[in-house]
Amino acid sequence: MTDLPLAGIRVCDFTWIIAGPTATRVLADFGAEVIRVEHAQHADGIRLGRPITGDTPTLNNSGYFNYFNRNKRSILLNARHPDGMEVLKKLIAKCDVVVENFSSRIMESWGLSYEELRAIRPDVIYCSVSGFGHSGRDRDFTTWGPTAQALSGLTFMSGLPGKPPAGWGYSYMDHTAGYYAANAIMMAIHHRNRTGEGQHIDISQVEAGIVLTGPAILDYTVNGRSWRRPGNPPGNRAWEPAVAPHNTYRCTGDDRWIAIAVMNDAEWQALGRALDEPAWALDTRFATNAGRIAHQDEIDGHLGAWAAERNDYDVMTLLQAAGVRAGVVQKASDRFDRDPQLAVRDWWHTMPHPEMGDCDFDGILPKLSVSPGQMRKSAPLIGEDTHEVCTEIIGMSDEEFAENDALGVFM
Amino acid sequence: MSGPLADLRVVELCDELGQLAGKLLADMGADVIKVEPPGGSSARRVGPFAGDIAGPNRSLNFWYHNTNKRSVVLDLDRSEADRAAFRDLVASANVVLEDREPGNLAALGLGYDALAAIRPDLVMCSITPFGQTGPWAHYRSSDLVALALGGPMSVNGYDPGDAEDAPPIRGHGDQGYNTACHYAAHGTLAAVLYRDTTGRGQYIDCSMHEALSCTVEVAMPYWLYKRQEVIRQTGRHAAVNRTEPMLHTTADGVTIHTFGIGRDNSSWRQLKEWMQSKGFGRQFDDPRFDDAANRQAARGTPESKEIAEEIDRFFAALPAEEVYRGGQERDQAWGIVRSPDETLTDPHWHDRGFFVETIGEGASAPAAMPGAPYIFSATPWELRRPAPKLGEHTAEVMAELAEG
Repeated sequence: MTDLPLAGIRVCDFTWIIAGPTATRVLADFGAEVIRVEHAQHADGIRLGRPITGDTPTLNNSGYFNYFNRNKRSILLNARHPDGMEVLKKLIAKCDVVVENFSSRIMESWGLSYEELRAIRPDVIYCSVSGFGHSGRDRDFTTWGPTAQALSGLTFMSGLPGKPPAGWGYSYMDHTAGYYAANAIMMAIHHRNRTGEGQHIDISQVEAGIVLTGPAILDYTVNGRSWRRPGNPPGNRAWEPAVAPHNTYRCTGDDRWIAIAVMNDAEWQALGRALDEPAWALDTRFATNAGRIAHQDEIDGHLGAWAAERNDYDVMTLLQAAGVRAGVVQKASDRFDRDPQLAVRDWWHTMPHPEMGDCDFDGILPKLSVSPGQMRKSAPLIGEDTHEVCTEIIGMSDEEFAENDALGVFM
Repeated sequence: MSGPLADLRVVELCDELGQLAGKLLADMGADVIKVEPPGGSSARRVGPFAGDIAGPNRSLNFWYHNTNKRSVVLDLDRSEADRAAFRDLVASANVVLEDREPGNLAALGLGYDALAAIRPDLVMCSITPFGQTGPWAHYRSSDLVALALGGPMSVNGYDPGDAEDAPPIRGHGDQGYNTACHYAAHGTLAAVLYRDTTGRGQYIDCSMHEALSCTVEVAMPYWLYKRQEVIRQTGRHAAVNRTEPMLHTTADGVTIHTFGIGRDNSSWRQLKEWMQSKGFGRQFDDPRFDDAANRQAARGTPESKEIAEEIDRFFAALPAEEVYRGGQERDQAWGIVRSPDETLTDPHWHDRGFFVETIGEGASAPAAMPGAPYIFSATPWELRRPAPKLGEHTAEVMAELAEG
């Protein structure tokens, strides 16, 4: 096994659902030893999340959980048991990073505030991910991915004019709050490498979402223009840069669509040539971007009629050969079964799982030339690593482990 | 210079696609030197513009994505002297970020191999639409095209009753570029940590297509495990079977997202008591509603349909603030569907010092924009300087290099 960039970094992982586990998935993919601390009476709901294999959830047969928790370890620990809390503190003392995504007062209520963690491990990097952050008047409010998207403006920015918001059909901000947490943790490790100093990182999922709307906010604070105005959101037409045509067009087949973006006059001319220069493509009213924006209903009508008789992948191949930006709206099956780019870049992997058999995974990006991330194992069974972590990392003897086990510490 | 990356110098050769990656590093203390062609980065031509007047220093999009960077103009495509200056610059740097078409820099003698010969421990990250290799490596893309091919659009859209024949929908805000940059930062930082411990640099190939392909949540596991596709629904998770609506409108015409109603008994009891105190939800006393499994919007049960319909009536009787705050105070993780600018008036974000002010050509006064995505206790996010004017730091940086 070659070197991993985060080899030697140990993470005490209290995370659950999607946002926190996404952060630790990134760290684990790049080689950190991520130890999920779990409690069977309060299991991560995603362990029961569909899709599952078999007919009923077992905590160990969720494909959804496996997807977000590969390459990690798991211990069962009852932190409500006083001896369990002692074991937990011994584990924290051996960890570089502690990460959680509970609501904002939970860690405090356990006696594991940053100050208390620092007393256990002076250079600890403690990262918390919550809906509203650990400070501010509404710190006790909570979010799921979709409500964080609503509160940050992202839901509103997705939709057709005059219709309800389409929003995001998944928890984009669970992924993305996790991405910010992973980046923050790696930055803090770099600082600790140089100075020996740890710190607390407080991430609000909603703030991370607002960060993704910066130009829209500046348009308001500089120009006084709100995104809430007639004609907005503009569907798949362009906001900025303001260009046309820029839309999705239905192709042959069931729910098949092609996205086309023409960014300038040269690309418009290339599009016309690719279509064998129908009369409308040569219309002088459409020769400039301003003219195309003014007449985009008409242009969309022509392009839509042309695409409607064609296969989406054929349209993409034809237009890309001409230098026009075009892409099929690919579903999961398209990417898995048909996408030649992902296939040739070794994107799909299979790893065994003790209950689910061979499981498919997507890959690790970006690709590092010397110390790339590695697919090492499926997600852990709940508590799979309890004995090893207690004996090898915490230094418990087999007798001590058995005593604690009898007391109900590992459940 | 107090950020966690204050010891790093980064040379950034990025336009719209890669510029956020440089911002993520610059805002945490790295000295990011943006190398631009004589006409400026194409990102300077992306609106909106201050006062709606185009100009290289007036793009608000550029202001936002280039905070804390310095701008140096070098004509890498035409001038050997400028290419030599670029090599000198890289010799002084730890990281190079670039988003040019695969092969472009190598053709100029500025590919990774050439630069690593100058700076052996260099970390160089290339951010491209599809990666450096493969049949689509030279396909042309945009944020729309990337979100189409990568998967997010296939799951964003409408119930047929809300918008007939609606296409898959792209969420705005260049989230394809953003996601590529989040991953570019993962790789760059991981490589910096590897260099911290081994002294070795390396090359990083970051594909926007791959970044998006693993940022579509449940759609992917459903295909990987069940070979089932999910279907698009208005404002909520795409799912294998259609679920109950989660967007409801209040008496003052505001839309609220209600993900998670009834998931657990405690929050359900609080909600039920609140609704009944206002004369709604009397039918929820029926024992059918006591089982969390019956209440889940995702299960398509008759109970979840009744709950969604009653929530509609309840919200229609109350103003948005009362619904939102009243819900949150009763463990309902609800959210108002806000326009981005409407976040500016929520005092919670001001309590946390989230919004910061910037200034630039065409703005009559400092203007608020989003600040830190994370609060670091020891090495905080910091706005040290606004986005640079085109070439603002060419002389300064060249003088620093001359001094060695």
